[in-house]
Formats: sequence, C-alpha cells, structure tokens
Amino acid sequence: MCGIAGIARRDGRDVSRETLRRMLGAIRHRGPDGEGTWSAPGIGLGHVRLSVLDIAGGAQPMSNESGTVHLSYNGELFNYVELRDELTAAGWRFRTRSDTEVLLRAYEAWGTSMLGRFNGQFAFALHDSNERGLLIARDRFGILPLFFAERGGDFVFASEVKGILASRIVSAAPDPRGLDEVFTFWAARPPRTAFAGVRTLEPGTFGWWKGGRLRLSRYYQPDHQSRVQGDSPLEALDQVLRSAIDIRTRADVTVGAYLSGGLDSSVTCALTAQSMSRPPRTYSLAFEDAALDESPHQTLLAAHLGCDHVSRRVGQREIAESLPATVWHAETPMLRTAPAPMFLLSKLVRDSGVKVVLSGEGADEVFLGYELFKETLLRRSALAAPAGAGGGGFASLYPELPSRLRSSGLWGDFFVVAGPPDDMLFSHLPRFGLSSRIRRFYSPEFLAELGEFDPLDELRNSLPDAFAQWSPLGRAAWLEMHTLLSPYLLATQGDRMTMAHGVELRVPYLDHRLFEFAAALPDAAKLNGTKDKAILRDWAAGVLPAAAASRPKHAYRAPVVAPLLGTNAPEWVQDLLSPDEVRRAGIFSPEAVDGLVRRCGNGRREGELERQALVAIVTTGLWHRAFVNPPEPMATL
Amino acid sequence: MTHSLADTRRVLPPDTPILDRVRAFVRENFLYMQPDWPLADDTPLLAAGVLDSIGVLELVEFLQREYGVTVADDDMTEQNLGSLNGIVAYVTSLRAERTNGPGLRLET
Repeated sequence: MCGIAGIARRDGRDVSRETLRRMLGAIRHRGPDGEGTWSAPGIGLGHVRLSVLDIAGGAQPMSNESGTVHLSYNGELFNYVELRDELTAAGWRFRTRSDTEVLLRAYEAWGTSMLGRFNGQFAFALHDSNERGLLIARDRFGILPLFFAERGGDFVFASEVKGILASRIVSAAPDPRGLDEVFTFWAARPPRTAFAGVRTLEPGTFGWWKGGRLRLSRYYQPDHQSRVQGDSPLEALDQVLRSAIDIRTRADVTVGAYLSGGLDSSVTCALTAQSMSRPPRTYSLAFEDAALDESPHQTLLAAHLGCDHVSRRVGQREIAESLPATVWHAETPMLRTAPAPMFLLSKLVRDSGVKVVLSGEGADEVFLGYELFKETLLRRSALAAPAGAGGGGFASLYPELPSRLRSSGLWGDFFVVAGPPDDMLFSHLPRFGLSSRIRRFYSPEFLAELGEFDPLDELRNSLPDAFAQWSPLGRAAWLEMHTLLSPYLLATQGDRMTMAHGVELRVPYLDHRLFEFAAALPDAAKLNGTKDKAILRDWAAGVLPAAAASRPKHAYRAPVVAPLLGTNAPEWVQDLLSPDEVRRAGIFSPEAVDGLVRRCGNGRREGELERQALVAIVTTGLWHRAFVNPPEPMATL
Repeated sequence: MTHSLADTRRVLPPDTPILDRVRAFVRENFLYMQPDWPLADDTPLLAAGVLDSIGVLELVEFLQREYGVTVADDDMTEQNLGSLNGIVAYVTSLRAERTNGPGLRLET
C-alpha cells in the first residue's frame, strides 16, 4: 500500500513537479520506500510507495508502453495472480511481477468492468489520454481512502486530506454538516468529510473526471438478502475463509497479524499460520488498566500457534499524549480515544521490521457479533409484547455496566424509547440518539449554520433500494458497515493508524466472497439466540482452543475523564478547553464546555455523554489546530 | 478541583420542596450545557434523553443521600424515576414509609 496524489486541470495548464512533491510530502508516512511523479499538460500524478509486492518492478506512476495510460495506485489486488493468468491467456504481456501492472492491463482489456473482477483493497487514479479523462476508483468496502476536491476547474485528489491541502488549491475549513455527522454517526458519512469542499469517494464507486466534470457510478452495492443455504455451510465457510486468508498472505515481505485475543483475530492468526506453513509474527496491545487488558487470552493463543508474539503495553497517560498525532493522522474529530492505542501498536509493528498485518475487522459486521444486533431483536420483541411483558433479556446486554442498572425495570426502557420498529434506522437509533446529544454543546452560531440539517433524515433518504426487503438484522448489518465500519473503523481506527507508520492493514473478513457468503446466510446461522457469530464459532471449534472459540466479545471501554482532566493529564488539554480556544474553533459553546469540565471533575463517574462529549471537544480542538487554524504552517516535506 | 455531584444543598435551603431540589439536581447535572432546556415536571426524562443509564444511577445516589432513603432495585422503574413528578411521588412515599412503617406506604 502507498499514497497517491494528483491534480487534473480543465484548462490544460501544467501541474508543477514542485506542487506534486509538496502533496506527496504530506503523505510520505504512507510510502517511505520510494516516490514518483508524472505529468503532462493538464495532469499530474504522484505516488509514494510502500513496497510489498515486486519490490524491484512495481514503481509508480506506471504507464503502458504507448504512454496513453498512467496509473497511480494504492492497494493490493490479492487475486492478481489469477487475473494475470487470465490476461496472459488473452494475449497481454507483462514486464513486471507487480499487481500494479495487472491493474493497468486489466483496464486496457476490460475498462471499468475490471472493478468487479478485483478481489482486493484499492484506491487509484488512472489517466487515459485517449479518453481525455481521469478515472478514480475505490474498493467495495472503503478499506483504502481517496479524497478529492474541485476548485476553479481543478480536480485535486489524494489518499489523505493533508495531501489535498498541500496543493494550496484548497484550504481547510470545517464543514458543519460533516462535523454534525461525526457527532451523530461517529464519522462523517461519505461522500462528506469534516472539511468543507473536500469529499471522499464512496466505497464501491468510481468516477470519471472529463472536461472539468466529475461523473460518479456505483459498481458494487452490498446485498444483505438471505438466500437458501447450501448443504454444507461449514464446509463452504471453511473454503472461503481459507481462500480469503491465502490470497492475503501474498507478499514479498514478512506478513504479521494483529492478535487481540478475541475470536476474530484468533481465527485470522490460526489460518495465517496454516496458509504460510509457519506461525505469523503477532502483535497485541496490553493495557495497564486491568479491566481493558486481554493479555492472558493473547498469550494463550500465541502459545497455541507457536507465534513470535510481541505486545505493546499502553497506559492512559500515553493514550492522552498520543491524541494530537492520532488526530493529525485521522484528520477528523472522534468520539473515542481507541485510535490512539492503534497508532502506538502500528509503530511497534514497523519498528519490528514488518510492513503488513492481517487483522480481524469486519467479522462482527459480517457475522453479527456486536451487542447491537442482539439488542435490535430484543427491542423488537419488547415493542411487540403487551405492556409490562418481556424486557428481561436486556439484562444480558452490555455486561460491563453495573448489574444493578441492568436488572432494574428502567434498563429495558432505555432501549425501547429509542424509536419505533418501522423506522428504517431502528437498529441504530439508540446509538445515534446517544451520540447526537453532543449537539447540546454546540455554540448558537454553529447551530445556526446547521439550520434544519438532519443527518438521520438524509441517511433515511439514501438507503439502497433493496433495504426495506432485508430482514431487520440485514438492515442493521448494512447500517453498521455503512456508518461505522467503513468510515470509522477501517479509516480513523484502521488505515490512518497503520499507515501513520507505513504499515499495510489487510482485512480478510472483507474479502467480498466471504462477505457475500455470510450476508446470504440466514440470520440464525449468525445470531442464534444469544450465540453471536454462531457459524464462525462452530467452525472455530475445530481449529482453535475451546476457550478461544467460545470467548464472548470483550468491549473496549477506555476511561477518558481521568486521562484528560485528571492530575496526570497533558497540559495542552486545559489550553484546548479554555474559552478562547473553544470560541476560536467556533463549534462548541465555551459555557457548555466549562459546564462539562466542572461536571467531570476528579473522581467523577463517567456517563456516556461525558465520555463522548469530552473526546469530541478535545479532538475537535486538536483537529482545528492541526488543519484549520494551525499556529504554524502544516508540515510538508 | 474536587467536585462530585452538584450538591444542591449548597445553594438551596434545607426546607426546599422535593420538586425544586430534584429539578435543580437534574438541571445542574444533566442539562448544564443547555440552561434554557424546557424541563417540565412531567417531561419523560428517559425518552427525552435527559437521563442516560449512568445518569439514573447518579439520580438514585442523590436521592438516597439527600433524603436518607433506600431505593430498591425493583423500584428503579419509569414510573418512579422517569419524570420529576414521578420522582417526587416516589420519594414522598419512601419517606412516609420510613416515618410510618412499611405497612403504610402511600400508593402512588
């Protein structure tokens, strides 16, 4: 994986190498192994390389022999071997062993229909002088990023927003609607970003920029329709899982794996070991806070598999101190500090000499692992039951919360009042309702800018055509992938954090064949009563130690109030929360922030609103300082 | 600054009616960021998002400390804690029970 950046100009003016290099300089952390640029009248492409496949031959931007097609590509086509065989059989010749060249030839052979043949993670820009246009595309689930902006006839794109800002064609300004989406959905919803005028290409889409206009098309829409199951679903799962892992161990460098201790990464590690015929190097986080720490489970698995295992011990002070760098890389405010330990973990990987890790993201969405899915069914039952009946099942949800609360008569009410079952967003209304209370901290000016904007209504109006036909859990899974997995977990907590240290993240559960297999399974094959990820657990029972296969999900709930407001908090936090700084950022009300700080205090029990609001306000301040109103010009080369 | 739950006894006299004290507690701890938020005596605190799950526990802690009553787990219901009116009625009944004995708990 790598970083890409470039500019296309309607008026055909040159793109200077200096500008391209400045853009690439801002994303150099994504590609420390090399850099390349290419330009012609009206177009400039740049690339910073993280060498993983065909170290010698895969330099970019890459062109065809006639020089009519130029490509700048970030990603991996894991089925590049099979595609190359197919293209070779059709008469195409290859000069390198790289997947980059496979993409190039695939375009020449198939045009944009190539995208449906790719099994991989990618974001690229391809200039075709015969088409007089620039093609941009992104993988089905948005594993890799691509941002763009249009200004005065120029089309500017980059793997990260900081690449676009370094062009100096676009300057950073907050997008109130994008920010409101961050504080509702946990991330701005594509194509929006937190930056005014900067959009992200939606997953599963491509665009042609020609004659100064961008035309977008969708080539993939995830389908959550259950279908009739085949005779041997466990066998079928075994085949597709192994294949998803096998092709993701293809690399000319060492491949490692994240091991959280949970089911998903345990499966990934076990299969990676089998695929490579040797255990992978594994990496974990260990928390000083015992309530968060999963070290014993990690150690058990690593020992079982014979992995060379290393662990990064993290304390709350270090998490707080890492927040500025985390926000700089994530390019967005956030509601959790969870990306910060991931930032620290990827440094450990890089320092150990490894550039590629496999990770378990996507399993909970694809196999219905989250509490949210159980909660959705419980809420529907409770609402369908006569008044006073039902609701007992809620006590089993969120076991990390006090038992007194979970056994109270009120507990079920929290879920039931969130919204009616005929609301298309039903499954996610409790979460959206919780987060959007952050609105109460907005300044009157920011509220005025937002006007009547309702992010939930916008989401309701942009659901896929087939959405209403899917089961409640199918709809919940789509919403989870669309609002959280893709724009937050894979982005803010995933790619941005690993690529901060030049480490490529591979996510086998988002192999589209595995996704499609799982999405088509009946709901009960995935969520069977209270047994989440049922079919995956059944499969894992034959591969992992019993404790690992049956281990319940361990929620990561890091404290935030003490690390940010306690005696060991970094000094810059108080600075950021001062009335002047809050007023300067213009998003939150200084009085409301002051109330929050007083309310939190020392030794104060954290409510969920306080946790989210505090992180939101602090990271907004960091984001504003890093991009919108930096004390010094943003670092480039 | 050491500051636990906003202590309304510092600003309200001891004979303040339960309704006023509870209203002040809710405003100071859950609506501090929006002083003009329209909190009515019958506002449904859960449905309106004023109280979240941890907020309920804080409310219970406050009532127990403030009025010397014990809130049983079974009493943590929408009826008893879901509005200012409900809270007042519930606390009143608990205090009466404490004064008069368990057999004479007021119906609410």
